[in-house]
Amino acid sequence: MRIIEGFKLRNICGEHVVTGEGLTQINFNKLISLNESAAILWEAVCDKEFSVSDLADVLVENYEIDRETAEKDSQAIATKWIEAGVVAE
Amino acid sequence: MIHAYKVAGHTFHLEMPDDSPLEALLGQYEPFVTETSSEPLFTVSVCDTLPQLNPVPVYDVPTEPGEPVVKLYRSGELWYAEMAVWSGRPVCARMVSDSDFRNASVKVESGRDALFGINNSLMLMFAFSTAGLDTLELHASVVAHAGKAFLFLGRSGAGKSTHSRQWLEYIRGTHLLNDDNPVLRVMEDGSIRVFGSPWSGKTPCYRNEDYPIGGFVSIRQSPRNEISRLGVLEAYSLIYSSSSGFKADSRMSDGLHACFEKVISAIPFYVLDCRPDREAAVVCHDGVCECSDR
Repeated sequence: MRIIEGFKLRNICGEHVVTGEGLTQINFNKLISLNESAAILWEAVCDKEFSVSDLADVLVENYEIDRETAEKDSQAIATKWIEAGVVAE
Repeated sequence: MIHAYKVAGHTFHLEMPDDSPLEALLGQYEPFVTETSSEPLFTVSVCDTLPQLNPVPVYDVPTEPGEPVVKLYRSGELWYAEMAVWSGRPVCARMVSDSDFRNASVKVESGRDALFGINNSLMLMFAFSTAGLDTLELHASVVAHAGKAFLFLGRSGAGKSTHSRQWLEYIRGTHLLNDDNPVLRVMEDGSIRVFGSPWSGKTPCYRNEDYPIGGFVSIRQSPRNEISRLGVLEAYSLIYSSSSGFKADSRMSDGLHACFEKVISAIPFYVLDCRPDREAAVVCHDGVCECSDR
């Protein structure tokens, strides 16, 4: 999967927010708020093709969690991003 | 003839043929007249013909009833915009701009919407060309009170102008600064001020004055009157959706966001649930002034 062109993560006064920018997403009228770990994941994969397993790698690297939990959390966030329309499968 | 205007410290030019009937319609710009500049921020020239284009649509605002319509296109490096007073009304102005919004030509249809065409062309160029200059063209109604300005924000029909009117009527020492399109600027010393402009929606209020900002208030209709502070995310969402800037170009978008962040860090944001009555103005005044006086 991949983050759809035109979505950008910004830090606004300590909050992580994804907005639609660029000509491709000019009509996107939502803001998506990310927590700290979701923001780390976004940064890690924002310019490349990635899988749930790639996300889990990042979580295991950054947090003291087991592989199974990391996979489960990664699947959950990937599903949320797809539902929100910011990631294409 | 070249008209030069200064709004929020930015000088721009409007050029039109001497015999243009539009010359007689520019009263609202009078308070903003200034000397012509060798380097205006942008120039809009009124003309009879536009260059041949191959426009590709890029932006079509999903307008609400009664809201102006702006359709934006690209044609090679150029930008092309069509404007109408609201959907269903014929296009009243067509504008072609260079890639960085420095020079635009506009063809205005004669008739009752001609002034709207001029206003909208200038507002569009102003918003786009100031996006990297710590300046925001806002959709808000603003009152000045006790040396500070309070901005009421919200969707069309939320009751921004109505709430301003409650302040004018019930809060002593209040006057209207602008009813639709004030301009915010982060000044060189870091202070944040709001300026009146020649654009004020349906209310003829064209004041060339500026004040430090005491607060932003999101207006929501409700059966009760209650004010509360907003957090960073809500404040960001509010100022983002109330700014006319154009987020299609990453340079402009970076500039707008840098400005949003300065504003959110420095100025309190509130939400006011309110009725259109006296108590709403009192509750709002007590809420915002208690904080801005501290």
